Amino acid sequence: MQVTERSHKAQKVIDRLQKKLNRQMVLSLAGCVHCGMCTDSCHYVLANPDDPTYAPAYKADQIRKLFKRHVDWTGRVFPWWVKAKSVYSDEDLEELKDIVFGKCTNCRRCTLNCPMGVDFATANRMARGLLVSVGVMPEGVAVVSKDQWEIGNQMGVLKEEYLETLEWMDDELQDELGVRHSLIPVDKKGAEIMYTINPREIKYDPRTIADAAKVFTLAGVDWTMPSEGWDMTNFGLFSGDDDLGGTVAKRVYEKAAELGVKRVVISECGHGYRSTRCEGPNWGGVNIGFEMESAVITMLRYIKEGKIKVDRDRNSVPVTFHDSCNNARSCGLYEEPRELIHLVCTDFREMYPNRAENYCCTGGGGAMSMSEYTPRRLKSARIKADQLRATGAKIVITSCHNCVDGLSDLIKHYNLDMEVTQLVNLVANAVVIPEKIEVMEKPAAVVHTLKGFRILVIDDEPETRTYLSTVLEDNAADTIQATDGLEGIEIARKEQPDLITLDISMPQMDGGEVFARLREDPATRGIPVCIVTGKPELRKLIYDKPYRPPEGYLDKPVEEETLVRNMRKILELASGASKEAAETL
Amino acid sequence: MPTQELGGKQVEVDEDGFIQTPEEWTEAVAADLAKTEGVAEMGEDHWKLVNYIRDYYQKFGIAPMVRKLCKETGFKLKYIYELFPSGPAKGACKVAGLPKPTGCV
Repeated sequence: MQVTERSHKAQKVIDRLQKKLNRQMVLSLAGCVHCGMCTDSCHYVLANPDDPTYAPAYKADQIRKLFKRHVDWTGRVFPWWVKAKSVYSDEDLEELKDIVFGKCTNCRRCTLNCPMGVDFATANRMARGLLVSVGVMPEGVAVVSKDQWEIGNQMGVLKEEYLETLEWMDDELQDELGVRHSLIPVDKKGAEIMYTINPREIKYDPRTIADAAKVFTLAGVDWTMPSEGWDMTNFGLFSGDDDLGGTVAKRVYEKAAELGVKRVVISECGHGYRSTRCEGPNWGGVNIGFEMESAVITMLRYIKEGKIKVDRDRNSVPVTFHDSCNNARSCGLYEEPRELIHLVCTDFREMYPNRAENYCCTGGGGAMSMSEYTPRRLKSARIKADQLRATGAKIVITSCHNCVDGLSDLIKHYNLDMEVTQLVNLVANAVVIPEKIEVMEKPAAVVHTLKGFRILVIDDEPETRTYLSTVLEDNAADTIQATDGLEGIEIARKEQPDLITLDISMPQMDGGEVFARLREDPATRGIPVCIVTGKPELRKLIYDKPYRPPEGYLDKPVEEETLVRNMRKILELASGASKEAAETL
Repeated sequence: MPTQELGGKQVEVDEDGFIQTPEEWTEAVAADLAKTEGVAEMGEDHWKLVNYIRDYYQKFGIAPMVRKLCKETGFKLKYIYELFPSGPAKGACKVAGLPKPTGCV
């Protein structure tokens, strides 16, 4: 056997290939009979008929040859017969990168046309993951992945910027609806719905957020936006990095669990929907205790249930609908958007082919962040441009942010007279504003400082008591300290503080028992409680009890900023809801 | 890397038409970039927006949030889209000489 030196990176790729294989992958790598059925299903092939390197079977062979060479017995015995080959140098890896990132958007249209059930896009994603694991990837993918790992969202938006933008949209919506209280609740515990978005909405175009808030408000539902875990997009899907995928998805799941919501609603984003709802639990290895759905389904339900009324005559310009690959082909979401369009638009024109057979917007698979391949992308977009033109529509609707940008680019490139919009914009435009608006949340006063509020700190550790009290007093609150549960209950009854912070693990009477007694006593029942504990495993002592859950929950050690912000939020919400709270256990 | 004639000189741009070296930016370059983004002529408000974006980028090395744009210029969000039909990310930032914003845009 010929011995050839292999570069460090190439060796790693070969070593890791074995670990990436599951039955689905092996089927896709072993199953191809080179019948050529996939060839004409690919938009790249259709736009480049003379270039065989775009054919899905050819592209797949560049990954398949590694599998044959290093895994499958045929390639180990007769490598020349089954075209088994390996990678040796960093240049070989660069060539592979050019194919798996630059010649495929992972749209999965070829999969639908394969009689053998080969899922090329899944193998392509696997190959991307192998390259990413040795640092071979387009720069755009690296930058965005880094932001998602480190800052928690793909556009590096800071928390205060996010919250400020929400407040801004809240103000705008208040002006539009003529009401004078907050309409976008943040971190509301126990809300029915947690709404998650694409960072593009917060950074560049928050109109979709205001539109969604308008729909939720007028539907009278109990909803909230999270202060963290709000980015439902996931570059793990594009880069093939399952660790990133799992970490990003878990941020959303953990926040939803912390807030105790019934349902996570995902704004109109194809890859975000697929990653968060369909793939994330597997990547993250977690079980999900709540429902997840696309905002398209949510809005459709509100109209069907009569929660909102719509006037479709307001959207009379001819529209067509572009199915996002991830929504339609990968997640089966294609009848609901059409049903919704018929309810909010008067002139809908179908695009052909459509639903699971639709062609990619050409911006999928993270292509929008890889400028180096833009000329190829725009060339292959001719297929989509022809499809769009044939509809005669003036507006193309899509339920995917990536498609919005992919379509906008090609519309400009091919000089089409068309605009791109999303369903949330059309629903918000069609929704009828009633004369009297009933809002779930009672008007909440905005609490800027803790001045004028009295907070009772119950904790047996002197250092913690001192720390919490000092931070709270530095922020202008008055504090009272209790060294154990019994003393705490006594003070709470007598002093009627505005808020109680409660430790769980304490001698004599644990925090669970203290919490129960506070909730049972009509004199203390209405006082908001924030659990501050270093032992999260004890949380069942609190949450297993048949009482209204605590208003806040913080893990020790708690940072100053986190503590103050949570205190403020609890006091804000309590100012609007304490009366009701006092009446429920 | 392709080049493009902007403001009377050859300027290096990426495949999406964003200029590669911020030092190459001049008002004439900006005016030509604006034409590629559907802005026939740069008015006073266009410049106000573009200059703010440039200053912010030079200071912080990233594109500002649209919230900042509106707050600092006093323009409504809707008006920003009227000024730059392709939006703040692809339109205004490109004219201001920033590299292409990262992520799904």
